[in-house]
Amino acid sequence: MNKKVSLDVAYVPSEDVVARVIEGELIIVPLTAGIGDLEDELYTLNETGKAIWNLMDGKMTLKTVVRKLSAEFEAPEDALERDVLGLVTELYQRRMLVEAPRS
Amino acid sequence: MKPQGPEPALLLKKEGELSLSGPALKELMQAVLRKNVPFRFRARGFSMAPFIKDGDVLTVSPVPDPPPGLGDVAAFLHPISGRLAVHRIVARKKSGYRMKGDGMDAADGLVPRANIIGIIRKVERNGHRVLLGLGPERFLIAFLSGRGLLSH
Repeated sequence: MNKKVSLDVAYVPSEDVVARVIEGELIIVPLTAGIGDLEDELYTLNETGKAIWNLMDGKMTLKTVVRKLSAEFEAPEDALERDVLGLVTELYQRRMLVEAPRS
Repeated sequence: MKPQGPEPALLLKKEGELSLSGPALKELMQAVLRKNVPFRFRARGFSMAPFIKDGDVLTVSPVPDPPPGLGDVAAFLHPISGRLAVHRIVARKKSGYRMKGDGMDAADGLVPRANIIGIIRKVERNGHRVLLGLGPERFLIAFLSGRGLLSH
């Protein structure tokens, strides 16, 4: 999947993952080949990643997400934009996030 | 095809296994099975020896319709402790199932049907499928296990 993620698009967790916060840690299980497989791949996000993931509600564009995080963490938007684009690209390429349908 | 290149720092591959009795495993298993998708995980413990051994990889499927029967191995929530366990159905009663670990002396007691969260469909050991324990022989195993003839 070579398509790039865009700051003007909203993303949402794919139906092909299960994500749960367990003991404070966000754990993502990809349902690879129709199986939730703890023996294959299991992912976790750090605190910044978790904050980004929690805003992937399918309504907010990435631009809005960056602004929101910048206000919340009092961090510069350009640095956050890199983090958001980097993580969302990775999750999108791994099919853990998908583009939200445009309303 | 998986993307190439280094893992970004924000997304980490989870290392280490989750223990069978852990609430983490229970919650993940329930979440996956609710999507009507099988779940593969590593078993811990010796309660189902010799048919399931510590370290075997189990595939559990959502509860089928019709419901599971005698000899099936099920993942369930223990009615008293609430912990996740994988044991065999050794008797069916009106109000639920009598579950028992093949290698255990005592049964778990009566487990309500609602506590059964999945059925074990596949056992793998050292990369090979274990055939004994889930086929037609499961009825005989349930009979022997229910009478404590398999435990040491």
